[in-house]
Amino acid sequence: MSAPAGSGKGKQIVYTPPGSPSPPGSLHDLSDYDESEYNTITHTSSGRGVKLLHTKSKVYVHPTRNAKDNIPGFIALVQQKPPPSASSSSTSFASSTIPVHSLLLAWLPESQLGNAYSTYVKVDLIDDSSDTRETYLVPPPPAVSTSASATGTYAFAVPVDQIYSLILRPPNSGWTFGSLIINTKNGDSFPALFFHDKECASTIEQTRKRIRNFDPFGEDGNQFWGGEEVLRWMKKYARVEHSRLERDTYLVEPQSSDEKPWVPKPKDPQDNFAGSSANIKAPNVANIFAGGFDKVFKEVKWNVLERLSRVTNLTRQTAAEIADSPNVPPQLRRLLKTPEVAALQDEFDSARIYLARWAMAIAEQADKEKRKTVWSSSDVMRMEDSELGQFEILDIAVSRDTRDRKPLTLKEWNSWLDKDGKLTRRVDDVKERIFHDALDPGARKEIWLWLLGIYPWDSTLDERKAIMASRRDEYVRLKANWWNELPAKLKDEHFIDQKNRIEKDVHRTDRTVPIFAGENCPHPDPDSPFAEVGTNEHLEQMKDMLITYNEYNTTLGYVQGMSDLLAPIYAVMQDDAMAFWAFCQFMKQMERNFLRDQSGMRNQLVTIDHLVQLMDPKLYLHLKAADSADFFFLFRMLLIWFKREFAWEDVLVLWETLWTNFYSSQFVLFIALALLEKHRNVVMNNLTGFDTVLKYFNELSGTIDLTDTRIRAEHLFKQFEKKVEYTDRKSVQQRETESISWKSLTSVPGTPATPNSTSAAPVGAPPTPASRPGPRPGQRAATSAAIPGAAQKKNEELPTISPELRKLLSREVITAEGQL
Amino acid sequence: MSARKKVLLKVIILGDSGVGKTSLMNQYVNKKFSSSYKATIGADFLTKEVMVDDRLVTMQLWDTAGQERFQSLGVAFYRGADCCVLVYDVNNSKSFDMLDSWRDEFLIQASPNFPESFPFVVLGNKIDVEESKRQISQKRAMAYCQSKGNIPYFETSAKEAIHVEEAFEVIARNALAQEESEEYNEDTWATVNIHFDDPQGGCAC
Repeated sequence: MSAPAGSGKGKQIVYTPPGSPSPPGSLHDLSDYDESEYNTITHTSSGRGVKLLHTKSKVYVHPTRNAKDNIPGFIALVQQKPPPSASSSSTSFASSTIPVHSLLLAWLPESQLGNAYSTYVKVDLIDDSSDTRETYLVPPPPAVSTSASATGTYAFAVPVDQIYSLILRPPNSGWTFGSLIINTKNGDSFPALFFHDKECASTIEQTRKRIRNFDPFGEDGNQFWGGEEVLRWMKKYARVEHSRLERDTYLVEPQSSDEKPWVPKPKDPQDNFAGSSANIKAPNVANIFAGGFDKVFKEVKWNVLERLSRVTNLTRQTAAEIADSPNVPPQLRRLLKTPEVAALQDEFDSARIYLARWAMAIAEQADKEKRKTVWSSSDVMRMEDSELGQFEILDIAVSRDTRDRKPLTLKEWNSWLDKDGKLTRRVDDVKERIFHDALDPGARKEIWLWLLGIYPWDSTLDERKAIMASRRDEYVRLKANWWNELPAKLKDEHFIDQKNRIEKDVHRTDRTVPIFAGENCPHPDPDSPFAEVGTNEHLEQMKDMLITYNEYNTTLGYVQGMSDLLAPIYAVMQDDAMAFWAFCQFMKQMERNFLRDQSGMRNQLVTIDHLVQLMDPKLYLHLKAADSADFFFLFRMLLIWFKREFAWEDVLVLWETLWTNFYSSQFVLFIALALLEKHRNVVMNNLTGFDTVLKYFNELSGTIDLTDTRIRAEHLFKQFEKKVEYTDRKSVQQRETESISWKSLTSVPGTPATPNSTSAAPVGAPPTPASRPGPRPGQRAATSAAIPGAAQKKNEELPTISPELRKLLSREVITAEGQL
Repeated sequence: MSARKKVLLKVIILGDSGVGKTSLMNQYVNKKFSSSYKATIGADFLTKEVMVDDRLVTMQLWDTAGQERFQSLGVAFYRGADCCVLVYDVNNSKSFDMLDSWRDEFLIQASPNFPESFPFVVLGNKIDVEESKRQISQKRAMAYCQSKGNIPYFETSAKEAIHVEEAFEVIARNALAQEESEEYNEDTWATVNIHFDDPQGGCAC
């Protein structure tokens, strides 16, 4: 506690921290006024001083609830001389000239400062934006780095590199003080420090200054307070990351392993549910924009609706009038003049549908204005906030920024093969990559054969060549089987029916895709209804493959929709044998969609029913009221995996990502759910009957943004997964609590309850702030379960997780047999 | 009943796959023909506003998938139908043979109050195709329609817009008549029910 020794006074030194030379002229360049020989308090006990870099006055510890017991003090950031042993290690903040391990964050009661008090007051008032570079030495604060050893005086000084996180709770004006809790890496927490901003000279001065500069609000729009200053000091010298899950938590020098618990893990749902993830808010700017725009839109919409309800034919004229009105926001005016909307106006079938589509188009346009071209996490968060209000945002990690991600190319893929052509990557990693990034067109022909299971994941090049050769032979044999017996076959009525059906369907499948467009070959059968128009070799190959499939899978045969499933595969392979087998593999997964009794489709529509009930009960009720809860309007989408809804290229992307079965073999249902959620507001505001719902969804064809839908679907899957886990965990807890209450109720009077019985714990006595350990990542979860008295809490109403819903968590493909 | 409310007529179009259901509907509503309509999956509908005598009615024309197995799901829209159009391809006898089963299927699923008088219309499509390919003669088709209670019959070409307009005019007229008779029947039922509300005997004790 002695004053700094005078021996070095006046002598100028250049302080250069090990390994990082001080940039000339930097704020931290101490060359001008620096004084030598300050102490390393955690390592020596000699009585020299430490540099007081920053401090703030009127920071209190509140030992009891009584204000009289509050202890005023200073929070301070001090620099000690780095210990010699640490000279070359742990300097992680490259841009700073002061190594983190030489810094201490301290709190000292005013009463203990003695002569140094005036130095603290002075440093508190230093405006460090001014050019002062004077160094102030103060006595080293007590080297206390655990809260337990600080109980006597509360004073402490924690090495900054021992700090795990800071919890900064801003003041609630008029009610509470802003507070700071320091959590250390060994799991300790120091008592909360309360910032009495109205007594603190520096905070008063800084607030005044901000008001003068027209910035009375801090970065996040809140009132300026002392804690922000502490955060600013810390950020000057150390890497401080704002936790993405806990609004008030800042991680200090986080390691990647430290950051992990703050990104929700699917295996630990409690973290996310019990934590304050609901605190996450959408960025303000986006909300303001959306709010203003919505208001305008609502007014315009009512105007249109009123007119449309009179006569449908007026629609186009009305839209034109609106486009010219000066009250229309520029976004809307631009929208009304786009060719898509013009086309839409030509095609409308009824006012309501028209209006619903129009509403959605406007919403999408507004969305695009906001997000420009690329989805970022904030967009997804905002979207969830506005459209799935009843959900907490559970997983931000889902919304990866796609800017840096590129489809998997064949070159990259080949680099993953060893000299025998064996895959050196983990299958799951490969699937994850394809699920998120899809394939480069040049990689499809090869990798689809893996995805569809023609090539085993552990095959060598030689094995694959052998597979390919045998599959070719097999296809030639299968095709020859019916081809050679065609005269006989053509007497079989069923065969003729099927052949005609295939013929008709192939001639109307994807004819706008170049390889299927031509009609340059004369039709081989002069009696065919298509004999006049001609055909092309690819159409003929398609017909042969489908007839072969009809003969190969005799229980199912060809069913309408299969030509839609084969066309993309054939177009990518351009090799009939390999396309045939790839199609057969795909059909294993799709077979149940085509069963005669339609049980497979029925089953999926029931699953969607349960899924919507669980994930969006309000939407479900609306669909029910609109006579659409049979979800028949999703029939086409599910039957052929959105083939008719997306553009050709998008279908290729969608299917290859679905083939990974990365999250679920039924991920396609989440694609459907994503579409429903995307349009839920339009559905709920505009669509009131089975017919309009069906029409609306049918007409989405060709307008759906695939990337958007995939991101939403992934998000929804994760939410679903967490809901299931949460429900399961809760129901186990409820069962346990029930059995405990039952035990305690039935225990014989007079005999003491078992010492560990939860029900015997006192209820309603919160632990004192000083003794309560601060929240640590991963700990929060356990506390809610362990809160005494939880037994008395009324059981929460839990949703039912049906077997259909549980199957959604499986990556195992459901075959036609498996579903029966 | 006297107040003229807006009338929505629900028309269901059934028939084997590839007979031209989608094409007929599009020719009638949009005056367009395309040889590249995709096979209908699930169901869809188009609407058209027409004048029947002096009444403005909205026709909702429901298009369905032709393959039988897709009929079992999503027949919800059969209910409340005012007219059913049965389509076959005059160059495909199989599609003609199937008319009966389409008709039966409809009557089972839609379960109209008076199946005997429910309005059907039969369309023999694709008459633009050369005569040599024709498998079902007009005579045969008309005989069939007569035997089923004088179902109106039209020979059409969606491709060349032959008789499409005329056929749908009859469809609209018959659908409107059906709609009005249903309303009348509902009123009758309501009246009858009042009488039932007053049981005559009381208890026998």
